[in-house]
Amino acid sequence: MTVNIEEKNGRKILALSGEIDMSASPILRKELMVLIKSKVDQLLVDFRDVSYIDSSGIATFVEGLKGMMSFGGKLKLAAMPSEVREIFRFSKLDRVFEIYGSVDDAINS
Amino acid sequence: MKNAAEIVIPSNPHYLSVVRAVTGQISSVAGMSGKEADKVKLAVDEACSNVIKHAYRGKTDRKIVVQFRIADDSFVVIIEDNGIKASPNKIKGRDFDDIRPGGLGIHLIERAFDTMSFDKRKKRGNRLRLMRRIRGR
Repeated sequence: MTVNIEEKNGRKILALSGEIDMSASPILRKELMVLIKSKVDQLLVDFRDVSYIDSSGIATFVEGLKGMMSFGGKLKLAAMPSEVREIFRFSKLDRVFEIYGSVDDAINS
Repeated sequence: MKNAAEIVIPSNPHYLSVVRAVTGQISSVAGMSGKEADKVKLAVDEACSNVIKHAYRGKTDRKIVVQFRIADDSFVVIIEDNGIKASPNKIKGRDFDDIRPGGLGIHLIERAFDTMSFDKRKKRGNRLRLMRRIRGR
């Protein structure tokens, strides 16, 4: 997995690619926590190039969401491939996270 | 030769990608569709992650054996370790409405396999047996 931090229209975007599993989740968690500690008011995660996520990846995003909510920030997930979205749906977390079809949709929301 | 295959990996999370690749390929050999194979791949990944996390407490130099058996009516995966014994009666997924990190792995295993059981005869470590029925093969 690779992590890139980008900015578009003043919004921080965490662009991920590859597979988010038990070996990648600690790296993702570290990046997420840095952004949460800096209290960015909106954080977008671009899933476009993510091909796989396991429960450790899901747990990292749940922790990230709780961290963002603790200071009133928003965590928005965007452009999930169907296989990744299916895991969020199965876990009933699609009701908890703000999930958008594309990064632009998330920015304009 | 029986329709079986086996891989041995170190208990290092970096090797989970190897487990996924092999599981995906063997699931195809067993006649599963891409979506079914994805579910099985994730379930086996979760089971091996549990071994690393709970049986070996994060130690990366121990051994995990993953065996695949294809029969006419079933697909069986056996995951073996020599770590701390699991307590099967304590293994439970979290309530889906209880939003917190963790507790999803068991649900993902149960989504892909019809049965999940620990072999009580194994004295040291764990032998987890996952079985998925194959219909209309």
